Amino acid sequence: MLRRFPGFALLCLFVVLFALFSVFSRRFLSAANIEDILSGYSFMAILAIGQAFPIIARGVDLSVGSNVGLGAMVLFDLNMIFGLPGYAAIPMAIAVCALAGTLNGLLVTLLKLQPFVATLATLAAYRGGVYAISGRQLYPELATQSIRDPWIRSLDAYVDVGRWIGLARLVKLPSLPLSFIVLVVVAFAAQTVLSRTRFGLDLKTVGGNPEAAHLAGISVNRVQVAAYTLSGLCAGLVAVVLVARFTTATEATGTGMELPTIAAAVIGGASLQGGVGNALGPILGAFLLGITLVGLTLIGVSQFTQQILTGLILLGAVWYDRATWDRQQAAAARNG
Amino acid sequence: MMAPEGGPKLLRANGVGKRFGSIEALRPTNFSVEAGEVRGLVGSNGAGKSTLIKVLTGAYRPTTGEILLNNEVMQLGDPHTMLRQGIACIYQHSSLVSSLSVLDNIFLGRQPITRFGLVDSRRQQLEAESLIAEYRIEVDPSAKVGLLSTVKQKEVEILKALALRARLIFMDEPTAWLSHSEVQKLHRTIMDLKTKNVGIVYVSHVLDEVFRVCDSVSIMRDGAIVWEGAIADIDRPKLVNIMVGEKLGRASLEAGAQVRRPRGTGEIRLSCRALGRKNVFYDVSFDLYAGEILCITGLVGAKRSDVVHSIFGSAPLDEGYIEMSGRKIRFRSPKEAISNGFGLVPEDRRRDGLLSAHSISDNLVLVVLEKVSRFGVLDRAARRRLAARQMDSLAIVPRNPSAVVSGLSGGNQQKVLIGKWLEAAPSVLVLDEPTVGIDVGAKAEIYAKLRAIRDAGQAVLIISSDLEEVMTISDRIAIMVNGRLEAIHDAGAANREKILAEIGGD
Repeated sequence: MLRRFPGFALLCLFVVLFALFSVFSRRFLSAANIEDILSGYSFMAILAIGQAFPIIARGVDLSVGSNVGLGAMVLFDLNMIFGLPGYAAIPMAIAVCALAGTLNGLLVTLLKLQPFVATLATLAAYRGGVYAISGRQLYPELATQSIRDPWIRSLDAYVDVGRWIGLARLVKLPSLPLSFIVLVVVAFAAQTVLSRTRFGLDLKTVGGNPEAAHLAGISVNRVQVAAYTLSGLCAGLVAVVLVARFTTATEATGTGMELPTIAAAVIGGASLQGGVGNALGPILGAFLLGITLVGLTLIGVSQFTQQILTGLILLGAVWYDRATWDRQQAAAARNG
Repeated sequence: MMAPEGGPKLLRANGVGKRFGSIEALRPTNFSVEAGEVRGLVGSNGAGKSTLIKVLTGAYRPTTGEILLNNEVMQLGDPHTMLRQGIACIYQHSSLVSSLSVLDNIFLGRQPITRFGLVDSRRQQLEAESLIAEYRIEVDPSAKVGLLSTVKQKEVEILKALALRARLIFMDEPTAWLSHSEVQKLHRTIMDLKTKNVGIVYVSHVLDEVFRVCDSVSIMRDGAIVWEGAIADIDRPKLVNIMVGEKLGRASLEAGAQVRRPRGTGEIRLSCRALGRKNVFYDVSFDLYAGEILCITGLVGAKRSDVVHSIFGSAPLDEGYIEMSGRKIRFRSPKEAISNGFGLVPEDRRRDGLLSAHSISDNLVLVVLEKVSRFGVLDRAARRRLAARQMDSLAIVPRNPSAVVSGLSGGNQQKVLIGKWLEAAPSVLVLDEPTVGIDVGAKAEIYAKLRAIRDAGQAVLIISSDLEEVMTISDRIAIMVNGRLEAIHDAGAANREKILAEIGGD
């Protein structure tokens, strides 16, 4: 069963890296550090799962970071300017992000734009939108205030696993941030959709062979729009999680998240050649990036080196994806 | 054989036509098939066969006409409706998703679902297993399609159609990539389906197959059906004449009766000794003479293409040596091979051979850029003259050098690909499956051209799985089995049955 899990090699790598950092840095294995990684990278993992949908459909969503910023600012505005309570503002912010995803999908399907170009354009446009609607710019006094809405603030909670299972007196287990719980729910839902529903198979069909999908009566456009919408939906969830954590939204929220999420999704087995991917791999990919970067910080590697490393990891993942694909093509050719 | 006019029809299309902008790809046409009938559909490339099929399967919405299934009017231009009504199609180019399993592919787009909206994989499994048993097709439902051989993939496509419980199956060039025994197996499956009252429309350029399996035949030309009737009422020469016209028809029939020139001028152009690549092919030795056409034939998977790619420098060569006109050579890249007078027309024109988004003239000058440039700058006039010459000599239609290649029919694309290499006038020209999927008329033109360059003293090496082609064009025939070159015969002394037995086809 474990061998059939597509990320088996990835899991091994994960364990090895984890062990290495634990040896080199004594703080790495501490409960506090693990909490940091969990709260610092759960949102990245959620975005990576979202990113997996367009990638499986043979596209990519570069606008996720800007979309997160947009959702965060909408939530901030609705609550701080219009005084809308969290239970109303949160769904609306998520809906805005999902719609922004839908717009990406429409650009790709109706205008037949290259996904890379379409979402690069919306990366700029959505970020511009964030500045345009920024409550902090419109009402400068809001810049120094934090959100006090109980609905939003309650999302920045931790679940103390140690106490929960009654082991708190024996060991100090890390507390799970609520964003991690959200991640688990999203992962479960996404994995079910991808592997057990018709939409999941349609998505892989559209990505694997769009012509075959059309001939099999699958609406290629609708499936693609849905994929970008789901990516937007995940961006919306992350926007809410981030606003809850920082109790504010800035114009820069979400900046630069697109590359790590693409890296995480590709490391996690979503192939840029389309048609292949699952929801669990991107999580491993995101936390693999997480422990690598946090671990390097702990052993004293500079921020700049880490950025270079993120780029290299993305390159490596894309190269590995390409090499795997080439190998499979060659294997198929050998079979006749 | 044929039902009387107005009798019960499984499928009837009344006056269906299709226009793309100003081009009428399909003139308003009537077409019908009965249950349990195998209907052949033949015609040149660009005659409108594919358009007709796509209209009937819902992939295209016709501009005029109506389609009735069992006297019930169908919604047009909707593949999903047609599939649900039991109209399946096995397309020439794979419509499988290589990253998914066989099982997922069989039920593509119509997986059964449980009450909870999840895919019912148990039911899929059971249905697939019963089909596999019923039609004796050996395939593992959980295998990934991309890792299967071409032959197995075709079988998966057939399973996919069977799983629909299709009442009518269109097969567009189903045997283009199959070996002889696989073709026979497919024909047995067709006979099985016939007894189960399934209607079949069989599209093929291989006329032998049409005469073997079809009950009736429709001949298309210039976007319309020009002849229809029982297969017993027509013979091969008449069919070819209707299909491509008197002149080409005659050329096609005469193509096999030409002079053979084994060992051509007697000058050894290319000499290969004990060539080998680890785990692929072994101990391949042959001589290719100037002024002859040598065909290497064998089953799909006999590693014929691998040998020429190793010679050409596009794949590694581990053992042996090669001499070209007495000089020892070892090409490290295709560029080196080309500059030494070597030309290769690859097998998959869409993937390896053509810049599909570019014009005919762009493609024609691709390997001879220095011929049409001065001081590194393209000379437009020279390029136009060169393109015009090749287009005339190969009769490329449309005769418009700036037409985009992807819009041409298969036969004309192939002519562009061959023309590109003819212009380079290589002293050794290798063609890998030069006429797959193209019609008898275009074939005859290509054969005539190849003979002309042979007579001009060039050495021609052809890789072909099509025995009809091998028997028609070759001066000598080499046989490869499982990566080994087993024998070389003079074409005059060989016959079809002998070759078939040697390549292990039956």
